[in-house]
Parts: sequence; structure tokens; C-alpha cells
Amino acid sequence: MTKILVYVEINNNKIEKVSKEIISYTKQTFDDCEICALIAGDNTTIEALKQEVLSLGSDKVYVIQNQFLSEFNVCAYCDVIADFITQDKPDVFLIGATFNGRELAPRIASKLEIGLTADCTALSLDENKKLLATRPTYGGKLMATISSKTVPGFATIRPGAFKFKQPESSKTEICYINSELNLENLLTRTNVLKTDIKEVAEDWTGSDIIIAGGIGLKSKENFELIYKLCELTGAKPAASRAAVELGWAPQSIQVGQTGSSVSPKLYVALGISGALQHMTGVTNALKILAVNTDIDAPIMKIADYAIQADAINILNSLISKLSD
Amino acid sequence: MTFKIIVFIKQVPDTDDIKWTEHNTIQRDGLESVINPYDIGAIQLAKNAKFLLKDCEITAVSMGPLQAQDALKEALAMGCDKAFLLCDKKFAGSDTLATAYVLSQFIKTQYNNADLIICGYQAVDGDTAQTPSGLAQKLDFPQITNVTALKEINSEYSVWFKSTEYYNQQIKITHPAVISTTIKDTEIMPGINGYIKAQNADITILSADDIQADISKTGFSGSPTQVKKAFRPSIERCSELINGTNDNAVECILTLIKKCKEQDCD
Repeated sequence: MTKILVYVEINNNKIEKVSKEIISYTKQTFDDCEICALIAGDNTTIEALKQEVLSLGSDKVYVIQNQFLSEFNVCAYCDVIADFITQDKPDVFLIGATFNGRELAPRIASKLEIGLTADCTALSLDENKKLLATRPTYGGKLMATISSKTVPGFATIRPGAFKFKQPESSKTEICYINSELNLENLLTRTNVLKTDIKEVAEDWTGSDIIIAGGIGLKSKENFELIYKLCELTGAKPAASRAAVELGWAPQSIQVGQTGSSVSPKLYVALGISGALQHMTGVTNALKILAVNTDIDAPIMKIADYAIQADAINILNSLISKLSD
Repeated sequence: MTFKIIVFIKQVPDTDDIKWTEHNTIQRDGLESVINPYDIGAIQLAKNAKFLLKDCEITAVSMGPLQAQDALKEALAMGCDKAFLLCDKKFAGSDTLATAYVLSQFIKTQYNNADLIICGYQAVDGDTAQTPSGLAQKLDFPQITNVTALKEINSEYSVWFKSTEYYNQQIKITHPAVISTTIKDTEIMPGINGYIKAQNADITILSADDIQADISKTGFSGSPTQVKKAFRPSIERCSELINGTNDNAVECILTLIKKCKEQDCD
């Protein structure tokens, strides 16, 4: 049976959401494959997160414990994981395209001399069960589907590209792998002198409803209305790159190729023209509704519902109606 | 001993200005080529290091066609001291693994005394960010990615600021090492002296043989990944234009929001 291995990344003692998204997606999409999760760390971290990993819906969980893995060190993690891949020989190996994932995966690929496709937003298997990974390139202007001559098929997956669904029950087998590798020499080469944890905003990319504003809102004051409407509807706010560059909204809520990918049930785009670089971030929205004065704006052909109107008027009307 | 910094740069099409052929390939005619913006950030970091170290030499290296000499001239004008172009038909079509191999062969055969390798975070025509990590592994060097600034440097080690989605860090790394930087909005305006120096400088062109590259690991045939198909993203849905007054529109939006909340969006 085709074996798909998903690396479960831990950051700040939490499982990365993208790792859960990949497990959910592969489990739902490739039903004749064995979906396995791989978690690596020191004993304390593993013990704290083991139950949660077991609940994510994979068929199997591999646990690698090694005392040298107490914090992320790309060289140490690379050696441990590459060693496991060599022994376990999965057909497909997937890692979330987080900052650490994008650093770790190519180092593993280079060590194993295998091909790697970065930042994928879609996956499939060909008739020989080889991985076909699709990714945006040239800033989202072109999509490329890439296969590899080497095994395992290896890809990093864009956060938010797939949706995580907590399974009701999970029959997961657990396998402990004792890693005897001595990584001490690797760890002495880099030394973290100081760490300031950033305040991480609550994850909003998987919200059911996202209301986004763009340049058509004409001012920062008008953009504030997006927040107001979100408060009234329970939606999460988002912005186009243009709105962020004008300083109307923080980069943390930017949607698109250079921002986040989102997967809401409903994406409401107010005053956004719909440049490709923006739209690649919303391809996984179930429904898109766009309001724009310009009937020829690209988004009016892309959206499920297109309303030709002034976004500022619509925003004001919505707010006054909901405030009643 | 002179501290040796290698900066790898890539010449890329100006992605703001891409036109497509009907076969979804890039219309190369008349396309502006520029130094990858992140690589200019890498040159800036190298210059900062040189400023602190004094006895330091910056070498700019690119893999690409002869045309990439333009990018190297630009790098020289910006303050790099030497330039090499890795140019061979057998390099053409290299993916990130093959590229990392070629660059590692350059270091091993020409600069095995390199102290620091600085790369841009990723190339804007590929957005993969894979080559610096792949290269660091091939050389068995430690690495720091997502570097935003240099804090201190001496011949033995350096300290860098790193920023990810969760934290800002200061990391000390022992040389030799690979650094990749997310700085990309730097502009280095070469002075007239820079241009004069660049005009007179020689760019050394090296082939696969010169760097003792095993050509089964380079170029299109030596690359494990292959593009099966390329397509312009088709993101159009069956668009329904809603006409009528503002009131209609508002009503329609509210209904959709309500439906979504009730778990039923179709």
C-alpha cells in the first residue's frame, strides 16, 4: 500500500496547524493509502503532545525521541528525519511550508538527494502512485505541476491550502523509534543567544467567513469599517496587498501569494480588483462574493457572486442594517 | 588572513513585467532582467560584514547564461570585489537540488577556504527558498535562514538577527556557514567609481569541468524534479452578477452570511 508520511511540526510546544491540515487532507483524499504522522522531539515535548497527535486521524504515528531535539535545530532535525526516511521508505513525504519547514525540507532533500517541490497548494497521485505536486510560481502568475524521479515524492505544503477537520474518532497505531544519533557536534555550531517570542495573532485563515477590503475603500477610515462589520457578523477581517502597502491594514491579515491562503466558507471582497496574486490566496474559499464599482475588474469574473456597487456604500448599509 | 565571503546571486526576469506566450512560457523577448531582489539584500549584508571586518573580500557568483554577466557587473558596481559565472550548457534546467550541487562544487574546488556564504532567501521567479539549505547540507555547513541583520562578526563566528512567524532571535554561528536573508527592499546605488571598477573587472567564467561537476547531477537530466505541466491559474467560478439596488445587494450579502453560519453555504 502506498505510504504517505506527514511530518508533524512543533512550535512553542504546539502542533502546527498546517501539519494537521495535511493529515486531514491526505486522509480524506487518498483513501487507498496509509497515512502516517511523524513527530520528533525530546521526551518532555513528545509526552505533552502525544495524545493530540494520536487524535488527528492518521493511521499510524511514528514517534522519534532524542534528547538532542529539545529545540529546533535544522541540522539536528535534518539528520534524524533523513535517517528515519532512509529506513522507513515512505512513497510520499510532506512537510508544512512554515518558516522552519521551508528551512528543514531542502536540507533533508539535499541529504537524501531527492527532489523537493516547495509551497504546494494541491496534491495528487499519478497512475503509478507517484506524487504530483502543484504550486504557484512567478508570484502566483503561473501554476506548475511537478513530479520527481526520486522516491519519496517530497513536497512542502502551504499553510491554509487545505482545511483541518478534527476526526470524531481515530484508530491510530503508535510506533516508537529510538534515535541513537549523537547530535552534539551539530548543536555546537549554532547557538541561540536570545529569543523574543512574537505575539502571534489568533489564526484566522480557517474562519468560516472572511471579509476583506482593498484599495476601492479609498481610505484608512473606510477600511476601519471592515473591522466594524466583522464585529457585527463574527467574521474575520482581511486585506489585499494594496491596502496593506497603503498602511490601512497590518501585513498579518494580508491575503494572497505574498500573504496568507485562506479557506473560509464565504469570502467577501470589498473594493478588491482581484489581481492574480490576491486570488491565489482564496482559491480554497467555498464561495466568493465581490463588490466592486468596476464591472471589468478581474474579480467580477472570478467571484461566485459579483455585485457592481460602491463598496463603501455597501459597507455602511450593512453596518447600519446590522446595528439596528 | 583575508576573510572570504561568497554571495550567490541570480539574474531573474522582472516579475512585475511578465508577458506570456500562448504555450504558458515566458515571453523572453524584451523582458527586463534584474538581480533577484533578495540577493541585493545578501550583497548588503556582505558589505556590512566587510565594513566590520576590514580585511574581507566579497565574491559574487552566479550560475546562468552568459547574459548573467550583466548581473555580476552590477554586483561588482555595488561593491563586490570579484565575480565568477558558472556557465555551461550542462547546467541548464537545473532544479534546486542540482543547483545546490553545482554551487557546492564551486565552493569545494575554488573557495574551500570560504568563511561565509550569503544568499538571498529565495528567487522571485521560483519562490522556493530551497537552494541555500540544500547548499549548506552539501557543504556540511551550519545555516541560518530568515536573517534580517548582522549584529557582530569576527573571523571565527558571527551573530545574526533572525525573524520567523513566531519569534525574533539572535543566533551565533561558527564559520564557515551559510546565511540566507529576507532583506529585499535594499537599494544599493553604485557610485561612479563602482561602475568604473565594474567595467574594468574580469568576470571568470567556469564550466562543469572547471568545478569538477559530475554532470549526471546537473542540468535538466540531472534534476530529480520535472515540470509535468504549467498552466495559468484558472480561478474563475460560475460568476453570477447580482443587479439591482444597494438594498438588494445588502440583502444578498446578509443572506449569504446567515447561510454560512448555519453550516450551509451551497
